[in-house]
Amino acid sequence: MHLKSLLLVALLLTGRSLLAGDAAPPSRASTLLPEAPKPACCKPAPKPACCPATPAPAEAALPFTAESLYQLDVSFTDDTGKAFNLGELRGRPVALNLFFASCGYACPLTVTDLLSVQANLPADVRERAVFVLVSFDTERDTTAVLAQYRQQRQLDGNWIILRGTDDAVRELAALVGVKYKREADGSFAHSNVVTILNAQGEIVHQRLGLRGGLEETAAALAR
Amino acid sequence: MMPTPNLPTKAAALLLGLALVLPALRASEGPTETQGRVNLPPDVLALPVEQAILTAPPHVPPPITRQHAARVVVHLEVREEIMRLADGVEYTFWTYGGTVPGSFIRIREGDVVEFHLDNHPSSKLPHNIDLHAVTGPGGGATSTFTAPGHSSQFTFKALNPGLYVYHCATAPVPMHIGNGMYGLILVEPKGGLPKVDREYYVMQGEFYTTGRYGEEGLQSFDMAKAIDERPPYVVFNGAVGSLVGDKAVTAKVGETVRIYFGVGGPNVTSSFHVIGEIFDKLWPEGGTKYVQENVQTTLVPSGGATIVEFKVDVPGTFILVDHSLTRAFNKGALGMLKVDGAEDRVIYSGKEVDAVYLGSQAEAGSESSRREAELKAKIAAEIRSNPAIAGLTKEMQIEKGKQVYMGLCFACHQADGKGLPGAFPPLANSDYMLADRDRAVRVVLKGLSGPVTVNGVTFNSVMPPQEAVLTDQQVADVMTYVFNAWGNSGDAFKVDHVKAIRNETR
Amino acid sequence: MRLTVPRFTVLLLAAALGLGAAEPVALVTIPAGTYVPLQRSVKDEPEVKVAAFLLDARPVTNGEFLAFVTANPKWRRSQVSRLFADASYLEHWAGDLEPGPRAPLDAPVVRVSWFAARAYARAHGKRLPTTAEWELAAAAGYTRPDGANDEELSRDLYAWLARPVPAVHRAVATGRPNLHGAYDLHGLVWEWVDDFNTAMVTGESRGDSGLERDLFCGAGAVGAKDTSNYAAFMRSALRSSLKANNTTTSLGFRCAK
Repeated sequence: MHLKSLLLVALLLTGRSLLAGDAAPPSRASTLLPEAPKPACCKPAPKPACCPATPAPAEAALPFTAESLYQLDVSFTDDTGKAFNLGELRGRPVALNLFFASCGYACPLTVTDLLSVQANLPADVRERAVFVLVSFDTERDTTAVLAQYRQQRQLDGNWIILRGTDDAVRELAALVGVKYKREADGSFAHSNVVTILNAQGEIVHQRLGLRGGLEETAAALAR
Repeated sequence: MMPTPNLPTKAAALLLGLALVLPALRASEGPTETQGRVNLPPDVLALPVEQAILTAPPHVPPPITRQHAARVVVHLEVREEIMRLADGVEYTFWTYGGTVPGSFIRIREGDVVEFHLDNHPSSKLPHNIDLHAVTGPGGGATSTFTAPGHSSQFTFKALNPGLYVYHCATAPVPMHIGNGMYGLILVEPKGGLPKVDREYYVMQGEFYTTGRYGEEGLQSFDMAKAIDERPPYVVFNGAVGSLVGDKAVTAKVGETVRIYFGVGGPNVTSSFHVIGEIFDKLWPEGGTKYVQENVQTTLVPSGGATIVEFKVDVPGTFILVDHSLTRAFNKGALGMLKVDGAEDRVIYSGKEVDAVYLGSQAEAGSESSRREAELKAKIAAEIRSNPAIAGLTKEMQIEKGKQVYMGLCFACHQADGKGLPGAFPPLANSDYMLADRDRAVRVVLKGLSGPVTVNGVTFNSVMPPQEAVLTDQQVADVMTYVFNAWGNSGDAFKVDHVKAIRNETR
Repeated sequence: MRLTVPRFTVLLLAAALGLGAAEPVALVTIPAGTYVPLQRSVKDEPEVKVAAFLLDARPVTNGEFLAFVTANPKWRRSQVSRLFADASYLEHWAGDLEPGPRAPLDAPVVRVSWFAARAYARAHGKRLPTTAEWELAAAAGYTRPDGANDEELSRDLYAWLARPVPAVHRAVATGRPNLHGAYDLHGLVWEWVDDFNTAMVTGESRGDSGLERDLFCGAGAVGAKDTSNYAAFMRSALRSSLKANNTTTSLGFRCAK
């Protein structure tokens, strides 16, 4: 009974706060997640993502669109050890791929494919397009390992390599429909999906599997 | 789909296997298409678009008359529903289109089919469809794997004509099929099939209920019985009696009937047979050549189909059975084709003579043997018509009457005497029958048609006359039985009584 | 957007009557054990060791979820992003903050997405159980650890499977608890697990036909250790059919710790 009456009070309070909320309805934006640094329209060709731009809070007012992946309220760390919010990608076309650095077959192939996509993009698109790799391997893919991966694969400043918590990776994977599972030997079974995001962070194309589809992927980036 | 596994190490092969296994799937609800709509070439886009006509069993969509391919749009809805499996027995069927078997789909060879599978929001489970008419991995199963409250779409080209089974292929597959998820899709060959007067759709499937055959109430799926392949029910079109009485399929004398017959299973094959008919033409296993003529019984595999065609020459009721007969007699695999029209007694006379046969030591055909036979028949007839001489007690009459009943009457009035609601009146505790013993005998001998009210319920069906079929003794016996079975109670019927009524109008 | 009297009354009633939200959920201890995956790759251990953990004794109720969406507006039906919950999210509720007659406060909340379930768990300092944890907890019978051999449990489970989804779910924790004291793991609603999207075998038999035989020991049932556990196949098929923003009329969740 004691617990129940406590809860009753709690619920009544909740009701009150609701009333208060209703009296001064929160702006839609305030209910949304942290914002990207700048609206897409205003500044052409943001800096390469490798050198994380300092978010400009003043410009963070514009909400993400309803289908923007950037609504995902999780943060990652890049291969320099800096915190990285996916919303920072707003305004640029993005090719997103989940991977793990010690992968012996599928991931290297995908990276090779993406490098060739990048090389063959029209110059103006190539300048804007960002290639994002997010690691499944939250244990072994440390910042150092990811930095080494960048070096090995000679990934330029338009490539962003991220690691995150299990939670963050799992929610991102769920959003782009990637299934993965850690095997007993520490490697990962995973589906291969390259996801193309538009300037708003909305999925505009997905390349499934390991074969072909590079033209469509490039076209989606240039769209 | 799989690349050649010529990779150096097993580990690499394993990775490769995994890598290609799972393309990401997304709901149309979500931000992106699964694989995106197919880009159809101009010649396909130029084809006329039509909505497929789907029919519930036992009906078949009309033949396709167009001489060209089309883009056909099919919408099939999956619903999990409680329906009748037998009288007093309910079951939660998983259906394509709300019926078992599912809707009949009819398309033409070369058609490009845009297939939509809609899984109703009230479904407990994901479902999909494997159409045996589809050329491609899983027959569409992977592409149509659909969560409750979702809809999937895929496109296929009907390359091969024929009659094909479709079914759910979601694990555990035997349970999905065992709950009714199967149907037929006909891909007509370019020239079409020969024209016939009547087409019907019949599928056999078995049901693994926790209760034994006839046990009333809502039955559950019994996994152990399924694994042991011990189905209490083997039925046509999803329920006991789905094709009998007023639900029988019909034809007229002189017409040609084609039956598209499939077996959903999940396990039991069918020895499909129509009692009193011969399949004039047979397309075995649903193929497009009729390679066999004059077939009595055809074996139809689980997950297979067949096309049979026959002309009906005489009127009467023709019984469809699985000739693995306990399934017909004890488990429900029985249907009826009722044929109306004029008798042709040359083709089929009906019973002409019923005489006692005692055998003979005399030389066959001799004058004396004939006379002896006549005398013996006369004596036998006298004995038969006199219960005192025959020494029949009421109990013996009941026993003999029961045999008559189980051979003749039970199909309509049922073994439990309860009849079939809406079709055949009950005999158990029947106020109509028990009220008038003369009338009861008269109905059996002379038949009865037109409305009749039994226990407050009006029936309007036909009781065929039995005077040409049953002897007076048999009538007396069966009357004694029905007046003393299922809680009824009454005196034995005498042969003289029957004889008197038989002679009433003569 | 004024707080209407009925809505308020609902809250009051919920608390006063001790329904749904008013009875805080008990956690039961699921002792350490092993889970034998239905299907596994050759790289997997044949058995997954599962450490002891705490599990909600019953699924989350409408009443509890109401309190959650009240406190977290972005998870209300009218405000949730389609990315995180599809169009049928809480569709049976009468309103944003009004479960209504089709969602009694003491009945399990259904039509919730994986994202929503996770957010709820996080807000309560909990998480969703993993597949291995959930299956371990659910493997127990009413009175014996091996539920597969508990005939009463099997009968109840298949009786539930044999019925369509009811228009209104019954209250939680009104049936029999299992050996660990957990209610409704079988026979009420399906439940989300945290790693629902790890299943590399789809549960859709045909989709797996391309698998290397030595990888998954063949397709569908062929790779399964116990092919007679149809209920486990159904759970596996359901999980693999879902996307993280999906909701269904018979899919709820409970939390673990």
